This record gives sequence, structure tokens and C-alpha cells, in this order.
Amino acid sequence: MKQAKKINLRFIAAMTAAKLSRFALRALGRDGSCTPGIIAVKICPDFLSRLKMPDLLICVTGTNGKTTTSNLICSVLRRAGFGVTNNSTGSNVEGGVATALLAASTFTGKPKNETAVIEVDERSSLRIYRHMTPDYLVCNNIMRDSLKRNAHTDFIAYILGAAVPPETKLILNADDAICSGLCPDSENRKYFGISAEPGEDTVLRSRDIVYCPVCGARLAADYVRYDHIGRLRCPSCGFRSPDPDYCVTGIDRISGRFTLSYGGGKTLTLKTVNSNIVNIYNCCGAAAVLLEAGFPPEKIQAAFESLEIVKSRFNTLTAGGVKVTMQLAKGQNPVACARAFSYVASLPGEDKRLLVMIDDKSDNTNNSESVCWIYDCDYSALKDPSVGVIVFAGKRCRDHRLRALIAGVDGGKIRICDGLDEGGKLILSSGGGDIYILNDPYILKESTAVRDAIAGRLSNAD
Amino acid sequence: MLIENLFPEVCNLFGDPQNAVYLRMSAEGAEEIRTPLDGIPYFVSGRPDIILMGSMSESTQRRVTEKLRPYRERITGLIESGCVFLMTGNALDVFCRRITYVTENIVTDGLGIFDGFEVTTDWFKRKNGKIIGKCDGVTVTGFRSQFAEISGDNSQMYFVKADRGDGIRAGIPYEGIRYRNFIGTQILGPILPLNPGFTSYLIKLCGGNPRPAFEKEAVEAFDRRVEEFLDPSVKF
Repeated sequence: MKQAKKINLRFIAAMTAAKLSRFALRALGRDGSCTPGIIAVKICPDFLSRLKMPDLLICVTGTNGKTTTSNLICSVLRRAGFGVTNNSTGSNVEGGVATALLAASTFTGKPKNETAVIEVDERSSLRIYRHMTPDYLVCNNIMRDSLKRNAHTDFIAYILGAAVPPETKLILNADDAICSGLCPDSENRKYFGISAEPGEDTVLRSRDIVYCPVCGARLAADYVRYDHIGRLRCPSCGFRSPDPDYCVTGIDRISGRFTLSYGGGKTLTLKTVNSNIVNIYNCCGAAAVLLEAGFPPEKIQAAFESLEIVKSRFNTLTAGGVKVTMQLAKGQNPVACARAFSYVASLPGEDKRLLVMIDDKSDNTNNSESVCWIYDCDYSALKDPSVGVIVFAGKRCRDHRLRALIAGVDGGKIRICDGLDEGGKLILSSGGGDIYILNDPYILKESTAVRDAIAGRLSNAD
Repeated sequence: MLIENLFPEVCNLFGDPQNAVYLRMSAEGAEEIRTPLDGIPYFVSGRPDIILMGSMSESTQRRVTEKLRPYRERITGLIESGCVFLMTGNALDVFCRRITYVTENIVTDGLGIFDGFEVTTDWFKRKNGKIIGKCDGVTVTGFRSQFAEISGDNSQMYFVKADRGDGIRAGIPYEGIRYRNFIGTQILGPILPLNPGFTSYLIKLCGGNPRPAFEKEAVEAFDRRVEEFLDPSVKF
């Protein structure tokens, strides 16, 4: 347990009100994953500073992969017998972080668990890290995200650079030149990455880092994986992506395992949650922080063997001989959606049927969602010959259709409908291949219902 | 029709690059010249029919301003002679007198082509919004997400007069800057695919022959958005 500021009356009032509100919200059937924390911070603005932190505090940030990475770290810690405080099922802004920590604390602010793995929204970093100092901060990547909140990668890198306490040990993605450039003066930086794979491109098509951050000359690439993820170098001044301390040196997609090289010649073979390259990065980041924190490699290895990706991110069932897969595709996040399109297109199979439901629920309630992000998202993977039909379902279906047409998708493969349930019916009446539901996380309940209805009809027809 | 797309490798935020794509698809015989930041703009020695530049980060904005500064007189000449410009998002800022970057504590001179306008950019004041209005009788819809606020009076030189949504500042219906065929707007992203009618208008302004790509689908998406934007229950 770590020292915190002394508790005062304001803190006690905040803790009492927050715990009572949490109890009341739960009694009303609400999840209460953010409001109690908001109440606490409202009453006691430095509430987080007065809360004693667990012995090991790991934070996870970055545009994509926060939830998966923190879930992986939590699973390993729990399997090793530690109590873990975590906010992955709740909110990752200040209120959510405070809620998770207070829920696992006594009235006097003492932690009930020895460890905490806290996912932190990049945009909220300034407000959170001014009150708490993580032992480790994993940053997976800094990519384009919601243009309304996150603007651009320079802005997010600035926020993180300004917010991260100097004592925190950073575990950064070496293959993301924006992420690996965070806190350049810090000596507390370690890097993880994935070495070049056969057939990878060497032409830098990045939209967010094209010129050298040191001298301004045009950058070159040893290899590029997607967007600006790869190993970059400046032919003019010698700037280059850092060498990873924890490096994936081999991926066996058949056995679903990868080799992690670290510590001057040591290797560890770990199971990956799936073959999607973004999840190999997530696994690598999780393993890196655990090794850096001194966890025995064999315990990490054993825990990884039984890990599975959270079902809300990716899951498959078979009904009537047809595979029905749900793949998370975070709306308003152009890179996450493009990766989801690309991953689904890359999976084996023909005549795939894609049901795309990626509108923002809240931005379409008494509102008209900004569709700029869909034009920032690469739809070209949907042109893949393995894709037989694409149904865009939701209020913005006409916009998605136009975007796909501009990207070169064959109009004959596109169907649209305003309702999600209608989308489920439409996909069933179109073609006969496996079905992929690409859904926004905020309509998980609705998309699961659509998936279940599809599965039900397929089973009945069998 | 010759399109010069300025610095597309860096002025590429928020879907703005799709304007060049859609324009190219929608104008008969259109050709695009993509001028990188480390290249020499075509307009220095030639005359494109339209010059496009899109949204960028603030550090890029400073580099772009310095890149264009030596060509200020040439740009002014092109504007005066009726060359069409479409500057979206914060590309417009570059043409104003001064840009103050509050968060980074930097002040730079813009190109000063529109000397009556100054820009203040604050990373802790993000403004989002929507707009629907008219440009020469053509309905334009758009979205904005910006750190910048432009001061100055554009009531006699605006791009769109808003029916709903803010113009250059909160409470002002006049959006953007229009001078001859220069159009600078804080509307960002895919203004052309979102507005097939305005795409046709712009192509005609360039002397081209418009045939908006996927016109039926684009009009359907546009009509739905107009319906929503005019719905009083929709928040602006």
C-alpha cells in the first residue's frame, strides 16, 4: 500500500457519498461504473490523491487495445493469486477510474487489493495522473481516434507527455514512432515490438508521421505494418524507431503462439488470444510490463495458455452450419474500424456476409452524427473478393454506402437499412457464406440480440 | 480540369482528402497534382483550375505557413485573377494575419492575405458543431471540430450563410471566407461527397463539366442529412 495525502473531512464525505451512490445505483439495476467517482471528485477534487494506491499500480493507455491489454494483465495477476482492482468493464475517464479504486477501498481509503490495473483514457490523463503515479504505464499506440474529442495524434502525444509523472516507468510500443517518442527526456522507458514479418511493405504510407520529428526530412521505413506502425528511420539525421527490449521474433499462426525475445538472449513462447496483429501487440505489451515488474516468465507463460479474448471483442458461434462471428469495430475510430474490416477480410472463407453496425448510438439520439470519421477510415478492405455482401445497418447507412462506393466497393454487393434488426434479416436473405457482425461497443446489447436472432433463424432453417 | 492538392501527405485529417478523390471522380477529365510539403507547388509556375488544402495539426500548420510564405504574392495574384481555392478546416487559418497558439505559447504571422482576420488556437477549447446554410443558393451541410477561433468581420465576404449552426464564431451566421473564387471554410472533412450539389457548383466555378460520382447515393445521403439538420429536435 502506498502513501497518499492525509484524509480529511472532505475525503470522508466524498467516500461516503460515493459508496452510498454506488450501492443505490446497483440497487436500481444500473452499473454505476462512473457516477460514484464523479460524485467523489466533485466533493473532494483531490480525492484520488488521498486514496492509498495498491502496491503495484499498472496503467494502460493508448488509442487502441487498452481494454484487451488490461484484461490480459489482470488475468495473469489473478491466476498468480493476486487481488486486482480493474476498470475494464467500466469507464476509463476520471470518474470511472475513481469509481474502480474507491469500490476496492475501505472507507478510510485503504486498498483491498495488492494490485490495480487501470485503463486510462488518453484525453483524461492530465486530470488523472496529477493525482496518482502509476508504477508502470503501458502505451499501445497513438493513432487517429474520435476527431471530436481527440483531434489528432500530436494533441494526444502532447497530453500524455505533459501528464505522465517522471517516476512512472513507461512501456511503449517501439513500432509506433509517435508512441515511442513520448517523454523523450525520461530514462524510465522500455519498448516492445514485433520484428519484420515476410512480405511486409517498406513504403511509408503513414498519414500521421511522414517527416522526421528531429530534422523534418522525409522518413523512410524498414517495414510498415499498417498506418504508421512499423520501423521508421530518417535517412538525413539518423533518427530511427527504438530497438524493442521485448520483441516478438516469431509468430506461428497455426499453433497461435509467438516467441518473445528479451533480456539479452532470453526467449518465451506465449499463446496469443488470436492471430490479429493488433492482439499480438496487446499480448506483447502485457507480457512486457509483467516481465518488467519481475513476474516469473513461467507463470506468465502458464497464464497466457488459458487466456481468451473477451467475448465482447470477438466471438464466434456456429448455427445451421454457418459461422456467425462478432468482431468489435469501434465507431468514430477510423483506424480501429479499418483494422476490423481488414482482419475480417483476411480470414479464410468465401462469400462472406458482413453486417456493419458502427454508428454512434449517443450521437444519433436527437442528433446527426458527424460522418467525417468514416471518410478518414479506410474502407478498401471491403473490396476483398472474399466479401460477398455488405449490409450497412443504422441511421448512417447511406453515408457508409457512399463511402464504400468511393473506396471502390462493388455497389452490387452493398445493401442498406436503417434498423439493426432489419439488418439481421437482410443479411440472412443475402448469399450463403459465413456471417461477420462488425459492431460498435456501445451497441453490444443490441448487436448481440441481432446475432442471436440470426443464429436462431439459421438453426431453425437447418 | 486540373486540381492541385497541396501537401496531402500532412494536410489529411478528418476525411478532408476525400474531397480531392470525389472531385476527381466527379469532374470530367479531371487530373490531380499532389504537391508534397518537400516539393515545389505547381501553382508557382502553372495555373491549376482549383487548389485544395485540408485540415492539419498545429505543428504542420506552422510548417505549411512557412512553406507558402515565399509564394504569398503569387497566391494573391491567383486569387485576384479568379483561381478557385477550397481550403477546409484549419487550412483557412494560414491565410489570416496572425495565429496565436495559446497552449504551445507560440505566435506566428499567417500569410496575411486576409489581413482583417486573426486566429487563436487553444488545445483546451475544442469546439464541435454542425451547420446548414446556403452558398449562392446551393444548400451546404457540414461538420466542424476545431481548436481555433477566428476574429474579424466576414459579413461581407462569407462562404455560407447559416440557417442553423454557428458561422465564423458563436452567434454569427456567416461562415468562412469567400473572396472572388477563394473559399475558406472551417467546415472540415468530406464537404464535397457530403454535398453533391455544392460539388457541381464548385466544378462549374472551375469551368468544368460536373457529373457527381454516385450521384443517386450521394443525394440520398445528403437529403437524409438535410432532413435531420432541419429537424428542430436535432441538437446543434
